[in-house]
Amino acid sequence: MLWIGLHLPQLSLESFASTLGPHQADRPLALIEEHRVVQADAAARERGVRPGIKRVTALALAPDLLMGQADYRRDAEALQAVAHAALAFTPSVSCNDEPGRAGLRLEVQASLRYFGGLPALLQRLKEALAPLGHQLQIATAPTALGAALLAQWRSDLALGPHSTDLLQLRRWLDEAPVWLLGPGREHWEALQGMGLRNLSDLRKLPRSGVARRFSPELLNELDRARGDMPEPHAWITLPPRFDSRLELFARADTSEQVLAGARMLLARLVAWAQAGHGRIPGFRLSMHHEQRHRSDTSTTASTELAVALAEPAADAGYLQQLLAERLGRLPLAAPALELSLHCDSLVPGAAPNAELFPTRASEGTGLTRLVERLQARLGREQVCSLRPVADHRPERATVAEPADAAAAGKATTLAALDSRLLLPAPSIDGRVSRPVWLLPEPLPLAERAGQPWFEGRPLQLLAGPERIESGWWDGDLVTRDYFIASQHDGALLWLFCERVPQPKSQGNGWFLHGRFA
Amino acid sequence: MLHSPEVLHPSLWRADQLGSGRQIATSSGFASLDAELPGDGWPHRALTELLLPHPGLGELRLLAPALVAVARVDAGGPAAAPVLGGRSVMLFDPPADLYASALAQLGVDARQWLVVRGRTPHGRPAASAARQGLLRQLLPQADVLWALEQALKSGHVGAVIAWLAAPVKADALRRLQLAAQAHDGPAFIIRDLDARQRPSAAPLRLALQCGGTDALLLHVLKRRGPPLLRPLQLVLPPVLSAEPEERAQGSRAALAQVQARRAAFARRRIGMAAAAQQAAAHPALGFGWSR
Repeated sequence: MLWIGLHLPQLSLESFASTLGPHQADRPLALIEEHRVVQADAAARERGVRPGIKRVTALALAPDLLMGQADYRRDAEALQAVAHAALAFTPSVSCNDEPGRAGLRLEVQASLRYFGGLPALLQRLKEALAPLGHQLQIATAPTALGAALLAQWRSDLALGPHSTDLLQLRRWLDEAPVWLLGPGREHWEALQGMGLRNLSDLRKLPRSGVARRFSPELLNELDRARGDMPEPHAWITLPPRFDSRLELFARADTSEQVLAGARMLLARLVAWAQAGHGRIPGFRLSMHHEQRHRSDTSTTASTELAVALAEPAADAGYLQQLLAERLGRLPLAAPALELSLHCDSLVPGAAPNAELFPTRASEGTGLTRLVERLQARLGREQVCSLRPVADHRPERATVAEPADAAAAGKATTLAALDSRLLLPAPSIDGRVSRPVWLLPEPLPLAERAGQPWFEGRPLQLLAGPERIESGWWDGDLVTRDYFIASQHDGALLWLFCERVPQPKSQGNGWFLHGRFA
Repeated sequence: MLHSPEVLHPSLWRADQLGSGRQIATSSGFASLDAELPGDGWPHRALTELLLPHPGLGELRLLAPALVAVARVDAGGPAAAPVLGGRSVMLFDPPADLYASALAQLGVDARQWLVVRGRTPHGRPAASAARQGLLRQLLPQADVLWALEQALKSGHVGAVIAWLAAPVKADALRRLQLAAQAHDGPAFIIRDLDARQRPSAAPLRLALQCGGTDALLLHVLKRRGPPLLRPLQLVLPPVLSAEPEERAQGSRAALAQVQARRAAFARRRIGMAAAAQQAAAHPALGFGWSR
């Protein structure tokens, strides 16, 4: 058995820091409980803010100190995300969420070969945990509690002979201070008064006396850490659905502030997806709003933003970009107080490998992502693909429909395969008989002396008429004679003349419909 | 071992080789134009600016051979998997709707094209077309410029054509030119002829002028090379097939036909109107049922 102990010494502070907006992050932080400081970050400690001092004293020492309430639930959610990230490396993860001793224990003996040895595994683990932004202390040992205790004690015990050798571990544990043991903490003053400094001192005392004076738990824990007693574990299982919430420290008025909070939620989502060895097909972000007053019913309680991905992804940076584009377009009904992120399903399978050199496959994925980003920012209708339709009426011969991002990546391959089947044949004598540009609405032209005029000059008709008469069956009858005319500088225009002059139409029945480009 | 890694990517070379700075280009399909362009074609990884007095001069007939080549091009190199299809073409804010049959006649598969348009201004969904055009002129084309930059930067698009109607700031163009360095394919920016006097970061600038029917005059305003004094005349794929005299004759005949038909309609309408008037004035002379 090989255990990795992960200890998160600053978990509460870091989970508080993740609720802050982008402008508050650089102020000194402290957590308070019952008007006393319980934890302070490095910047605050530099100014003299220590755990245990009163709130007023802390404010006098550091007037710009940002204080938050310690929140057990918030810490538990943050720790859960870390556990999910760890689940990607081994299925055996147990979690200790006691305040101040928060940490994980991972049994990794079976994963060593797959990840290429312990040093490589530790490196991968650190990389996977980096987006969650926690300070880590890592230790390895043959027993779970031994690894956890070493991780709490020192930060330099990640690798060494003690990680596999039980005797070496016991030697380290003998040197460890006595306050490491959980049930002994409330007896810390008594133990100190008895002159006990490290665990070997405790071990030398008669067991029955220690058990009677303190509790049998103290000795049991010592035995478990030393490997003399078996240890039961409650393994963490991955929930089938992802739900995580984040209560913001300050209300978020702008999408930028919402995004700062959502970044942490997305990092947790990606950790969850990686633990399930899958990719995310889409997610929902709910923003819970502040009511203006108690009986305010006009503002909605929450806004939900559903982001569906064309191609499932597990890339936090990409998800963030996509969310940023969508949030930029969404008007916020009211300031957001709390964010929550949901994801109902995972697409199994790892993401396809990235390519070093550009290939057809990587270009298809890239194009899918590009189209998705453009559609997220501009709206789905603003990015269109064209589809030819077999219809003689020019305005109906091309359908511009919102591009399907997933198809855009593959369309090139499909289109090439059936191109000969679907494309209308080129005109018979090799000339271009249709204009590329079609005006959205035919433009009525003036007629003087029997000639159509455009922009104050007469047009010279060069070819025609070509009759297009179609559409009686769908109520959009078109009876037109088309001509090709040249403008004063030689540019060619596509005109038509209504065969049956419509009484309602203005002008003399001449219309400009297209330009040959 | 790979002896010429630059076929994989132009910025790759072996450590014992000199890096080759040759410019990669797509042939324009017009031999006389290729001869005047550095790299023998439309350059990749750089902007090409085309200045037009108005849309519909034959600009797409000019670009079509290159776009067809891009859609068919094999970007994967000799060692890559068999190529199933080409690369896509992205159009930004084209001046009018596209007619797929015309594109097909030019040899282009419209399904490989994506059209990106900027958002219409907020709160004015019902604004008329003319008004929207005006608004688009006045508003900075932030959307289109952003989308264009993303497309160029991504390097996953085969060719890009952007219509920038409003004046574009020089720094925006420089930004686009920098973004274009990641874009392995031709990138065309089509602007109004008024922009001719203003400086631009694009290394190749051409002014287009109509040279008669089915012909185009190209003024090379800027290129990497000596200035070209005389305009280039290009013969485009024809829209008109018949000889000029025949054409003129045909059109005169057609016009006469239209006028004759219209006169017939007018007569019929006048006749009907007169009959109706008569019927109204003398109900007794009418058809009898009016009583």
